[in-house]
Parts: sequence; structure tokens; C-alpha cells
Amino acid sequence: MKFVDPRHDCPRDPWHTVGGEDGPMVTITPDAYLLLTLPQWHSVRATWPAAKPVGVIVPNDVAIEDLAPDLPQLALVALQFPKWTDGRAYSQARLLKRRYRYTGEVRATGDVLVDMVPLLARTGFDVAVLRHDQSPEAAANTLTHFAAHYQADVTEHRPLFARQGASA
Amino acid sequence: MYQYTDFDRRFVHQRAAQYRDQLTRNLAGALSDDDFRPLRLQNGWYIQRHAPMLRVAVPYGELSSRQLRTLARIAREFDRGYGHFTTRQNLQYNWIPLVKSADVMERLAEVDMHGIQTSGNCIRNITSDALAGVAPDEVVDPRPYCEILRQWSTLHPEFAFLPRKFKIAVTGATEDRAAIAWHDIGLQLLRNADGEVGFRVLVGGGMGRTPINGVVVREFLPWDQILVFIEAIVRVYNRYGRRDNMYKARIKILVKAEGQKFIDAVEKEYQDILTLDTDGDAQVIPQAELDRVSACFVLPEGVAARPAAGDGAPADAPPAYRKWLERNVHGHKLAGYRAVTLSLKRAGQAPGDATDAQMDLAADLADRYSHGELRVTHDQNLLLPWVREEDLHGLWLAARAASFATPNIGLLTDMIACPGGDFCGLANARSIPVAAELNERFDDIALLDDIGDIDLHISGCINSCGHHHSGHIGILGVDKDGAEWYQLTLGGSDGNAYGGGIAGATPGKVIGPSFAADEVVDAVEAVVETYRGVRVADERFIDTVKRVGLEPFKIAANAVRRSTAREAA
Repeated sequence: MKFVDPRHDCPRDPWHTVGGEDGPMVTITPDAYLLLTLPQWHSVRATWPAAKPVGVIVPNDVAIEDLAPDLPQLALVALQFPKWTDGRAYSQARLLKRRYRYTGEVRATGDVLVDMVPLLARTGFDVAVLRHDQSPEAAANTLTHFAAHYQADVTEHRPLFARQGASA
Repeated sequence: MYQYTDFDRRFVHQRAAQYRDQLTRNLAGALSDDDFRPLRLQNGWYIQRHAPMLRVAVPYGELSSRQLRTLARIAREFDRGYGHFTTRQNLQYNWIPLVKSADVMERLAEVDMHGIQTSGNCIRNITSDALAGVAPDEVVDPRPYCEILRQWSTLHPEFAFLPRKFKIAVTGATEDRAAIAWHDIGLQLLRNADGEVGFRVLVGGGMGRTPINGVVVREFLPWDQILVFIEAIVRVYNRYGRRDNMYKARIKILVKAEGQKFIDAVEKEYQDILTLDTDGDAQVIPQAELDRVSACFVLPEGVAARPAAGDGAPADAPPAYRKWLERNVHGHKLAGYRAVTLSLKRAGQAPGDATDAQMDLAADLADRYSHGELRVTHDQNLLLPWVREEDLHGLWLAARAASFATPNIGLLTDMIACPGGDFCGLANARSIPVAAELNERFDDIALLDDIGDIDLHISGCINSCGHHHSGHIGILGVDKDGAEWYQLTLGGSDGNAYGGGIAGATPGKVIGPSFAADEVVDAVEAVVETYRGVRVADERFIDTVKRVGLEPFKIAANAVRRSTAREAA
């Protein structure tokens, strides 16, 4: 799992939005690493050139099923945590990875705390864009507490009982 | 009992270490109180009226004497020498300073215990029948399934931040002693015509502001599918449950609003997991796993059916012993054995409370008479599941000396009560003084006996931790202009034996405006006296209420009003 620290990493992170996430509709000229809102993406998806990586920002109340046909075109799906205790995006990520077999990058954006990282990692997020006051070192440290878990998840498809069965 | 594996043991220690890291960051100012709150809640740490409250998980109510001694030691060394057993079979402490909380988690981990998911908007500790594995009316022992569900739900990464808390109860008996219809998911284990084991699945029950029974979404789900099916239910809830209004966020609101659409969505999600997901069948439970877990729930060593020994009473046994046999001793699936309730309902202590010394004594009784095993019951008592009939008299003497032998199980003073306003930050009114006053008013065991089977439940607020909705008599604390008031409800019930809704669950009906604090016990007495006056033959209280309706009770209760007289007229 990678962490984007908005304080330092932004210049290096190639993804950028167009006209602000809540701004007015603007004419979109295809460019590499554009991160579009859903309406923006819908306006250009029919003609988007395959050579230019594109991402889309998906609100957490959007049915991820509706995005399924577009996934082959998308290099990045940014899911949102408007509040860190709103857990809807965990289900979206899990469905993207295990139901729709999405191989692009899934990022967590919004109110992202380091203490969410163990959950993000297990539900299919590849990158966490941390809240401005969170440290990447602390985020990495949260992944060290548990050696393994009981239930299946996106990174380990077998629950403990299946793993034990395999090793027995 | 379930025996922790090395994995299980490491896991609770890892959890304790993770919690210590979070606490340390909080105390150092690196993790704000607001952000720390959901994290500590998911380890059982609330901030209450006086101090943090810790809720320790007792999975499906099973407790060893060794664990209980540790709970006693924690009460002694970290708290003020007592704890409170809850309707969800857990134990709560009220006075442990937060700075000590990580130390307590380590103590708990040493005896395979923790506070994982005892609070927060996640899947809570799973509850079950306190007589699981020993009940004569048991069809399937629910404990192995409870344990498999416990493992599956523990730190489930997708379901840690649901719209609201999520409670699962499991029963495997004919009589529902786990109040399954009041839970977000209620599971009843049964056998079909071919003898195969499966679950009847109820979804959307709950108390609070909207008391409602769960609806049956599957009449028979093969047992090995249960994790997949529950994953489907919880995912639909996580995605579509309301998050705009805390009071409308439980799954019951979604189920009520969507009806059949909800059930269809769950069925579709269930099919999609199995047919579309990579390794979608990974959570189908193999027979070998059920066998492995079930091996923990065999009879304790040395326990086997024995020749019946009667009640173990000497010829000159006193009437009090007979009374105790009648009320506190229960049938057992194994000949020669009984299950015995240690009553935590006695004068001078809040319902469900036990001191550290009492916990130690209960642990001693468990060692001497019940293979070191105890249960916490939904009614906030302790229970010894493996008592030999010939030991009953000896156990009675010892239980009496330890204050556990009040012969009141199922009677009025065996009431359920939440901690109420004395401790709880949510409460509108206190529960404990009402319970104490009821104890004084009904301290005559002959009178209690004459009143007979009755469930009296007290909640200090509408969150309903004291299950007032399901009380035959329910008392609900309300706050009006900063004063304590109490609403009375009649005719609620739990359990098939009392009839009513699904598995007997029925919410009670309010009988008029609230009573003042100094009226409520008089009102209860008036209700009880009305029952004694109008009952026919040996009719139980709940049956009389059903037969004659609320009116006679309302009139009698109104007659005792003093300060609220004008309002009710």
C-alpha cells in the first residue's frame, strides 16, 4: 500500500483534477493523469484516447455496478471518505477488486486517517491520500500490528480455516 | 467451551498492542479525542458520566472460572471492586481510568478475553441461549456456529464502519431464550425433514425508538452458507442503510422502508458473491472446520449421563431449598445433571452487579460444581451448566453463603435493568433506585411466588438497554424539564412460551402519561394487585393482560398518581 502525503507528495503525484471537483463544467481536453468527476467522465468517455491514463472520482453513494462497463478504460478510481467513519467506500473497493476484477489503482481520498489503513489495505485500496495532518510513517506502522486475520479479504482470498486446511 | 488456538491467542495480544499504540498517540496529542473515539469504542471503551466504561466481550455468554477470576482481579485492582453483567451477556466496568485502559486489555488478553467490537457501529459480540449445549429442548447446539461467526466478524475490514451498530443472536432450541427477533439478525438453528441443519434467518429486529420484530428472510438456509449470506445482508446494509439520521440508521429502518426489495437485494448479493466474485465460495464453511470447532463443545471430561439422583435433598431439607429447586434449577439434556442459576438479583445490589469477591466465589462454585464453566444469561444472572443432581444441596448451601441463592428466577425481582443515569451518559433517568425500591416493596418471597412468572424490565432511556419493550411490565425512564419520569408499558414479551410475535417477541403498550419517580413503584404495585384480583385460576400475568386488556391496569395505576394526578385526568 502506498501513501500520498498531501503536504509533500502533491508535486510528485501526477494525478490532477480539472476545474475543481465541485466547479462548473469545463471543456475537457484529453491529457494524461486527469482525474475527472463522474459527470466529466461521462461527457468524454466515448472519445477518450486509450494512450492517456484517466481516473474518475466516485462518490460513496454511487452504485459501483454502474461503473463496471467503464473500468477497462480507467487507470484510477478514487473513492471517497467524506467522514472517516462513513464506511461505504470499503464495500465499493471490495466490489471493484473481487467482483469486477478491476486491475487499475483504487485510492482512498477525503477524511483518510492512518488508523483506517489496515481496513483500506484489506478491502482493495492501493493508495491512501492521507488527511493533511496524518503522517505516512504512522500509516505504515498501523500495518504491522496483525500477522494475519480470520476472514477472507481482497488480498487474502482464503479465510483462516481454508489456510489452515491447506497447511495441514 | 471454545479453546483458544495459538492463532486466537496471538490475535487478542496483537489487538491489545494495537490499542496501546492508539492510546499512546492519543495521550501524546497525535490522535485527537474525536478521532480516537471510534477506535476506543471498538475496543469497548466509552466515556461515561464519571469515568470511562469498559465493556468486556463474553462471546455467546461462555465464561471459565479462570476468566471470571481475572475479571474479579481487574475489578479489584483497576475498578472500585465490582462489575455489571449485561443483557448481551457481557461485563461492564465503570471506574477504570482511561490511562490504565491498555494495561487492562493486556490482562484480559492473558485469559483469552478482549473488548473487540463491544461498541461502535460494527458487528457486536454475538449472543446466544445461556442454556446452549445443555437445554433439553435443544435441536442443534448453537455454540460452534456462534464461534465461527465470532471469528468471521472479528475485525471484518469491510464492516467496521456501518451506518449503526449491528447485533446478531443465535438460538438452537425450541424455546427462544436469546430474544432473536429483537436483533438486527436473528438466527434459529433447525433441522429440515431430511435431518439437515440450517438456519431460519430473521433480519431487522430492534428496540430503541422503533420496537419491531425481525422479518424472516429465509426459512431454511443450509448451515454452511451462513457466512456468505450474512456477508450479503451486511453489505446491502453498509451500502444502502441511512446515514443522515442516527435514529433511522439501524437495519430495521431499511428493512421496513424497502420490504421485499431489501430481501431481493440480499438474495441477489448472495448469488453474486457465489457466482461472480473471485473465490466467492471461500467463506462456505467446510465440514472439517465445523468439526474442528465443534470438538471444543463436547461434554466436559468426566461428564456423562448418570442415574437420576433426584434433587439431592436430605429428608429434612428446608422449604427455602425446595423454593430454590423450583426457581433456580433447570432441566438438562443429560440425565443426572441440572443447570443452576446463580441469582444476581438481590437486595442491596443493582441487578446484574457482582463484586470482585462475589465473582471469585462464583468461580469457586463453578470449579467445585460445574467443571469450571459458567454462563452469563440474557437476564443478567450467572449460570452453572454442569451440576450433578446429587450436588444440588451442597451447591445450594454454598450459593446461599455467597448471596447467589435468592429463589427468584423468573419472578418479579429477577428484573432486567440497565445501569441507568447513575452511570450512563445517555440515560434520561436512573434505573438502579427504581430497582432497589421494587426490591424493597416485593421482598416477600411468598408474595413473589404468588405473583408468579413475570418479566419486569427497566431502561433508563429509549435506547432500551434494559429491554423495557419486551417486559411484561416495562419501565422506561424519560426526562421532562430536567426531572426523572417513568413510562409504564404492559404486555411486551420474549420467548415462545409467552406467545405473541415471532419467537414470542412483542413490544409492550404504554399505559398513559409518565409517572413521577415517587409514583412508579406504587403504579407497578397497583398493576400487580390488579392482576392478582382479576386472574383466573393459575393464569400468568402476561396471559391476564392479554385477556383483559390494558384498561383495568390503567385505572389502577392512575389511582396511585399524586404529583401527576391532574395531567393524567
